[in-house]
Amino acid sequence: MSMVSRKRTLFVALCVLCTVLFAGSAFAEEKIIKIGTLFPLTGPSAVSGQNCLNSVLAAAEVINNANPDLNIPLAEKAGLLDGYKVVIVKADHQGKPDVAKSEAERLYNQEGVFAIIGSYNSSATKPASAVAERAKKLFLCGASSSAALTERDFKYFFRHAPTDAIESKEFTDYIEYLNKEKNAGIKTIGLFYENTEFGKHAADEGKKAAKEIGLEVVADVPFNNAATNLSSEVQTLKAANPDVVFGAALGADYSLWVRTMKQVNWLPKMAVNYCTGYQNPAVQKELAGDGDYFMGGMSFSPELAQKFMPEAIKVQEKYYRPLANQEFDSDSLQEGVMLLILAQAIEKAGGLDTERVREILATETFVSPLSLSGEVAFEPGGQNVKALSVITQMKDLKYNTIYPTKYQDSEPMYPMAPWDKR
Amino acid sequence: MDNFLQVLLDGVLNGLVYALVAAGLSLIWGVMDVINFAHGEFLMVGMYVSYWLGFILKIDPLFSWVAAGLFLFILGAVTYKIIIRNSLGKSGMAPLLATFGLSMVLKNFCMNRFTPNFRLLSGTILEGKTLSFGGAIISVPQLVTALFALVVLSLLYWMLKKTRLGWAIQATAMDKEAAELMGIKTENIFLLVFGIGGACVGITGGLMTSYLAVYPEVGGLFSLIAFVVVALGGFGSIPGALLAALLIGLVESFSGFYIAAVVKYVAVFAVYLAVILLRPRGLFGW
Repeated sequence: MSMVSRKRTLFVALCVLCTVLFAGSAFAEEKIIKIGTLFPLTGPSAVSGQNCLNSVLAAAEVINNANPDLNIPLAEKAGLLDGYKVVIVKADHQGKPDVAKSEAERLYNQEGVFAIIGSYNSSATKPASAVAERAKKLFLCGASSSAALTERDFKYFFRHAPTDAIESKEFTDYIEYLNKEKNAGIKTIGLFYENTEFGKHAADEGKKAAKEIGLEVVADVPFNNAATNLSSEVQTLKAANPDVVFGAALGADYSLWVRTMKQVNWLPKMAVNYCTGYQNPAVQKELAGDGDYFMGGMSFSPELAQKFMPEAIKVQEKYYRPLANQEFDSDSLQEGVMLLILAQAIEKAGGLDTERVREILATETFVSPLSLSGEVAFEPGGQNVKALSVITQMKDLKYNTIYPTKYQDSEPMYPMAPWDKR
Repeated sequence: MDNFLQVLLDGVLNGLVYALVAAGLSLIWGVMDVINFAHGEFLMVGMYVSYWLGFILKIDPLFSWVAAGLFLFILGAVTYKIIIRNSLGKSGMAPLLATFGLSMVLKNFCMNRFTPNFRLLSGTILEGKTLSFGGAIISVPQLVTALFALVVLSLLYWMLKKTRLGWAIQATAMDKEAAELMGIKTENIFLLVFGIGGACVGITGGLMTSYLAVYPEVGGLFSLIAFVVVALGGFGSIPGALLAALLIGLVESFSGFYIAAVVKYVAVFAVYLAVILLRPRGLFGW
């Protein structure tokens, strides 16, 4: 090697060294907590995924800025601990479990996130949270409702939403109430669900709960999501003609289901939905009057929030609406709530020790003005024992709360009005 | 019996729609030996054209299909001019990868501009209209789309078999060099074929907006079924595409109702595999 090239090599090496050192000191000075989000930002569930992401971004704004107008823990001061800001690192699992797994690995190993919030589709949450458990990293889940997720005895997994088991029980309680108080005469049930982790578990729990109150299951109709048509599925339901249908169809499939029932001029007496397209105001807006009289379990509705969760409305108007151009929905809100709960746990832990934060999440009760119950506490396995949802019924683009009676703001409209009488 | 008739009609109507979606793909594949991976996204663009014309200008899909067809004709021709022509003759994979890239661009462009939201046109002329036939209910928007499919497919078949342009297309498909020696401008034929392929799927998309939600991913399964229909019917054969699409529609409908809804696509792909094993060039391949 000549003298000139040796000098040049030395110069380049010094430049690299300086860059690394300066970059290192810059990182050291930057007080940030990286939180990963893993949602379906493309694919059939993209609408809901984008809403979930926007909700987490809104929650990050609540934490990072001083918000004395919001009566939410940590909202008053800007940042966490001694001035740490939350930085959201986004990832898209496209609704595919294998992509969710690899993206979770990337977020933890390459992006170095402290925790992941996600993943909306239970089928994606399952493998992604298994990655977290193996890596001993935190995974916080807002809306995935498959009961199986919190039956794995995971230590690093925490979920806010009520499970399908809780919702199924609530649905059958409501049916008993209708049969008793309104002489509804509901005796048979049909299940219509997407053939995924979420759909299958919801249907299993639905059947179990129905059996407990003596309902006869006359139709069990799984379908492939993102279908080109649902003609044979709806025809199967129509042929069995159940009194009530429990539905688990997300986004576009939900609107296609409703429209196909209209096409064949059939409706059950009552249709109740798990966490599905029913809860998405954008889907309801597109369905307009066709979405009326359907019901669903919800932890949030604008009408409910006015009465019981006023802070959620404030966050919605201040941070969420400018991002999403719409109101919160039940699913998206819960993802944001999980970031607020994580922030409280970090603050209580006094630092970014994952084990310490995990212990606090597992043992303490958190004040949560953005949750319907006002509190969040996790049992072993990670299920939020304070999870609460109500049954709402859609009418004129409004989610009217009809059950439990404590929260009721409208009388249930039963049976559903036939298509030709609307 | 009511159920049987209903399932039969559902199968026929869905099959006719699949036929029109697949016709353009079949033509392009048969004439140019190019697989257009962006075919599903062309359908999606056609639906968006019709949706926005309905939403902003209040033009019903019954009329806006013309604009959707025209727009997709131009998009198809431009795609050929800019993307396909430059990738032809380089490697067998080049046009395939190029159209795959185009599909990503179109999907992400719509995702970015229109958000992933599902958009349904309401208040259309045919909305909610049904006909009763022997106890079965027929959705009028679907029936109209299916009838349009029949008309467009018949015109396409007539054009291919009875006009000088159709003969030129067939000659180009059979032997490009020989067609050029006979004075056929094969470059123009390719351009036209890509345009016609786009127009067919644009018309279908335009009409489907009257009963189906539009969103950036809507073309996915339609395009997969179109590939099955083309392979089953035979590359380049319009009657083949029609028969294969009807077969697919009926298999989907009957297996979905009489076996289980969840296996309907399994049955479709099983039939496809069986036919390909027994007759690799499809039912009516050139």
